[in-house]
Amino acid sequence: MTLFITESLVENLARERAFQLLDQDSAYEILGPFDRLESPHLAAQNIVPQYDDGMVIVKGTLNGKPTVVISIEGNFQGGGIGEVSGAKFAGALEKVLKECKQGNIIYPVIIYDTGGVRLQEANYGLLSIAEISAAIVELRNYVPVVGVIPGKIGSFGGMSLTAGLCSALIMTREGRLGMNGPEVVEQEAGLRELDARNKQLIWQMIGGAIRKETLLADLIVEDDVSKFKEGIIKIWDGEIPLQHRTEKYNEFLKLFKSLSIEDKISPEQAKEILLNMNAVEDTELSIPTEIVNSRGRKWFDLLTNGQPSISEVPSVLVADSFINGIKARFIAVVPNKENKYYRARNGEVGLLEGWAIAKYVREAIEEDAASNEKRLIVPIVDVPSQAFGYHEELFGIYLSCSAAVDAYATARIAGHPIVATLVGNAISGAFLSHGMQANRLIALNDQGVNVHVMSKQSAAIITQRSIRDLDEIAKSVPSMAYDIQSFNKLGALYQLLDEVNADEPAEVDKNRLIEQIVNAYEDIKSDGIRDLSCRLKSEKAISYGRKASIKAREMIDLQWK
Amino acid sequence: MDKLVYSFPATKKVNKRAHVGVVGSGDLEVLIEPTNDQKTVVEIRTGITGFQDTWKKVVERFVSQHDISALITINDFGATPGVVSIRLAQAAEVVTNDIIHY
Repeated sequence: MTLFITESLVENLARERAFQLLDQDSAYEILGPFDRLESPHLAAQNIVPQYDDGMVIVKGTLNGKPTVVISIEGNFQGGGIGEVSGAKFAGALEKVLKECKQGNIIYPVIIYDTGGVRLQEANYGLLSIAEISAAIVELRNYVPVVGVIPGKIGSFGGMSLTAGLCSALIMTREGRLGMNGPEVVEQEAGLRELDARNKQLIWQMIGGAIRKETLLADLIVEDDVSKFKEGIIKIWDGEIPLQHRTEKYNEFLKLFKSLSIEDKISPEQAKEILLNMNAVEDTELSIPTEIVNSRGRKWFDLLTNGQPSISEVPSVLVADSFINGIKARFIAVVPNKENKYYRARNGEVGLLEGWAIAKYVREAIEEDAASNEKRLIVPIVDVPSQAFGYHEELFGIYLSCSAAVDAYATARIAGHPIVATLVGNAISGAFLSHGMQANRLIALNDQGVNVHVMSKQSAAIITQRSIRDLDEIAKSVPSMAYDIQSFNKLGALYQLLDEVNADEPAEVDKNRLIEQIVNAYEDIKSDGIRDLSCRLKSEKAISYGRKASIKAREMIDLQWK
Repeated sequence: MDKLVYSFPATKKVNKRAHVGVVGSGDLEVLIEPTNDQKTVVEIRTGITGFQDTWKKVVERFVSQHDISALITINDFGATPGVVSIRLAQAAEVVTNDIIHY
């Protein structure tokens, strides 16, 4: 008789999961619960913190190879990324990157179990996810970054963007991968768009099985520790070829240009469509008859001196222009009332927009590849959110956003100076995809410039608090606030520009912004640093805004053996 | 959020530390760390307010069964008294494997 014994990973807590994957007695934890580096922002809101802030870093070996497992605790605050947990994650990856650069190859494995940004810390989550993304993109040049999505929660929100950046993904049937959780889609788009209670449909849309079948995940395994380990080793050994999905902008853009969502597409149909995407004929998108004069468009027209957009997607404007003799590519996402993706008509980053950004950033990288002079890239940020919709989740909007993040990060690492200008809203996944990977961030000091992770209505529902409570908390916890002055306290802005007419910019406003873009450009050129570390080095970050982020990184450094 | 602190005399020293549980729905995390004082100090943070009497009883019961001088820290997310007792016992089992007798 053969005895089959399986050892579950899914049923265990984050710490046990991390140790389970590593060779016995090889592993030690970095920044564990006894270090008591907890979130300073939760207690301030009367929420009980956890001593490891729900993020577990364990270093050891897997099959004899040096490995760092980063494991997210889904039971604590829904696996949400706050300042400390985010800094532990980013800091561990940055440390692995540093080792890899010195020739000590360490294999990173990420166990995802997260709803995305922790809404109680909001903008800290955004900043952290941008830093995690930046590290993954750079790390992939040295070592495969393996993501594991075992369930129960899955990987959602901004964290799904980082999952999309991984070299390869291992899932179980129980795991889910999507950008906007079903409850949020239902809240934002209505019950007719998606019934979040229809669990069967949800798993058919974004579950591990369908993601694997449509080639968006690399491996599906049974919930048995040995299977997860085998999968990871197979990826390392090259038995499972890496897909580089975020680089396939031509294929995905062609697909989404031709796709019609006039009738609801079923998950079964979507599977056929995705599997046959290479056979899709290239079609042109119709030119909108009505132009919405959004802030993003106004500033785009002004900064490019009215140059026509070269983009094949009407909701993404792209043009090359010169400012003070510096060649620059300007990119803006703008509303298109006739966008066939009806959930992306107000300037949201959706399926088309993410891939279009990826295309035009990557084209600039390729065009300048042989040149020492890498062109300046200026994302003009006026984005209300990512698109919340059924088809968006079905067809993997997270990957479209990952592609945009990847393109910007790759450009930055290649030496393109990127200066994002926040002229309007910079919200959530849209801001992560369009702006957050910039070397420098410049914002207009204006009431219409907001940085946040979710509409107040949805944030209130998810965190089970009233909008009045949220407004009250935001007064003492700046990362929770929506206004740009509060965001500025976190230390990530290079410049907060006063007295510029954001709504109706004139020549004088344009010149003031250009002056700052050029300053930022010179600053990037002079320090030569191509990562996002400057956000942690500003006076504001050190003295107040990112204290815990800095401390987490210092402690990782001290405990690293 | 309520913060509660209890202190009891204790005689047996432990030389290990333990961490169990998670600050998730209906659960809690418990940390036990050795101390040199001959007492047990229990520090509790809980999101469910107004249950001081219940906490006191649960902790007293634990201390009466486990005579260890240690710092016990609890972060609670709405665990029932039964769950609290089980988690405490779990953590105590880890640290009391090699008790040092004075």
